[in-house]
This record gives sequence, structure tokens and C-alpha cells, in this order.
Amino acid sequence: MPRYHFDIHENSRVIPDEEGQDLAGESDAHKEAVMTGASIARDAFVSGSAQRVVVDVSEDGAPVLKVSITLEVEKA
Amino acid sequence: MPSDAIRAALLKRLRISSGISEDDVKEIEALPIVVRQFPAETPVVRDGERATDCCLIAEGFCVRSKTIASGKRQILSIHIPGEIPDLMSLFLHVMDHELSTLTPSTLGFISHETLQKLHRRSPGIAEMFWRDTLIDAAMFREWIVNVGQRPAPARLAHVMVELRERLKLIGRAEGNSFEMPLTQEQIGEALGITAVHANRIIKQLRQEGIVELQRGRVTVLDERKLLELADFDDRYLHQSPTL
Repeated sequence: MPRYHFDIHENSRVIPDEEGQDLAGESDAHKEAVMTGASIARDAFVSGSAQRVVVDVSEDGAPVLKVSITLEVEKA
Repeated sequence: MPSDAIRAALLKRLRISSGISEDDVKEIEALPIVVRQFPAETPVVRDGERATDCCLIAEGFCVRSKTIASGKRQILSIHIPGEIPDLMSLFLHVMDHELSTLTPSTLGFISHETLQKLHRRSPGIAEMFWRDTLIDAAMFREWIVNVGQRPAPARLAHVMVELRERLKLIGRAEGNSFEMPLTQEQIGEALGITAVHANRIIKQLRQEGIVELQRGRVTVLDERKLLELADFDDRYLHQSPTL
């Protein structure tokens, strides 16, 4: 099973993933990234600690995909 | 494991949390218990299975969990030595969730028939088991509040503090450190988040100088910050029979 690393960016703060996760393939890595981004964004947006969350997925140092979630509030 | 060691954690817990009488201690000491060893991460009773015994944890950690159609698992509770996590199977015969080990465990099986006779013979024990089951339900209420309402770092802090308070009762949380043998994936399953998110909050709590979780062991770095983050009120554990 390939080992994927999920680095997390909250605004400009980066939390690197040194350990990584063994997953069956890219489609599982995609799912994991979307779910992780969504649940981190939920906490960060509600507490106001960040307005943008990015999950940067790589395998063996090579980029695989990136999930970006941004909070946009438009006041009338 | 000698047969009194099988019951040691259970009796220790019942003495403190239920004020068990010496006659009832003798009843429990005389209970026929079949001891079996289980490897880590192994089902003990599966969802849908018909249980014929209740299982006393003598050594090791177990979890109760439920798996949904997509294959995702929710961990419902963590269990430690001295607990009988499937006591409800005495009356609810077909399992509606799974009980499995986290770590290699020594489990003692007590047949339903034996327990039913004991219930009828000793009202004190029946009351104690009823109390245990009610506390179990109180812990599930707290678990729902935790997973449903708190942000992820607070969820983890709460589960940690609860586990520590329960380990204290059986003399297994000395000083500022205690066992919590869950992988990142299992922490994710307990808190309703992904393994990657679990990893992220474990790091956050360490960076903020609150707790360190390493190789299945929690070390508390700042007690005050931990309790504040966990929003922990131990009333729901009902650890003293006089309260």
C-alpha cells in the first residue's frame, strides 16, 4: 500500500505530516483529504483561528493532490 | 493468571464505586470464570451474535463499536480492567454492536446462567450491576455530547481525562501519566474525525504544552489547561456511591 503524507495549512501556518498514512490508492487519499479538510475547517472557521485550510497530499515527496477550503462571508 | 487476579480489578472498582458488602465479595470470588487470552484488535462478540456469557476484562483494553454500511467504524466506548462491557447481553441477548480488544487481553467469561442465578440470590449484586449499567448509559450520554458539540481538540482532551479518572479507580494512573493504547486511526474513530485530523490535534495539544500522547501513553504537561480544554465535570461517572 502506498504511503501518503497530508500536510495541513491553516492560513499561513503549516503542520507537516511526518508519519503519513497507508492507503489503498489515490481515490482513498482523495477521500481522506476532503474529510480531513472539512473537519479541520469546521473547527477553524467556527473558532475563527483560520479562514483557509489546505490539505496538501504527497507520496514519496511527489505531490498527489491539494484540497483547499476557504471561508467567505459576504455581508449585505 | 491466578483466579483471584482475574477478579482483582473488578473487586477494587466495586469496593470504591459501589461499596460492595463482604458477603457479595465472597459471591464474586466464588463465581466460575473461564479465562481466555485474546490478541490485539480482535472481536470478542460481534454485532448480531447471540451472547451466552458476559466478559470481564482482567487485563488489557477493549472497545465497543458499530460499523456503518460504508465500512466506517464509530468507537462508542473504551473499556479497562475490572469492567464488564457486555453486561447488558444478560438481558439483551443479540448484540447490537461489537466488543473487540484494542491490546492483547485476558478476558474472563461468566455464563449468563450463572449470573442470572447470582442476581436472584443476591439483591446487593443485582443492584450493583444495575448501577454499573446506568453509569454505562451516563458515559454514553457524555460521549454523544462530546462528539456532537465539542471541537476536536476538546473531544480528545475529554476522552483522555475520562479514561484517566477511570484508571485511577483501579490504581492504574499514578503521577502524570497513564495508558491510552489507541492508534491515530482509532482515536479518529472514537472522536468522529479522520486519522489525519487526529494526528493534527495530537500535535496541537503537544505544541500547546497540554498533553503528550506517545506510543499509547498520555503524559499530562499542564493539568489546569487540560481540564479547561476538556470541559470536564466528573459527576457523570458517579464514582462514589454516597454522592
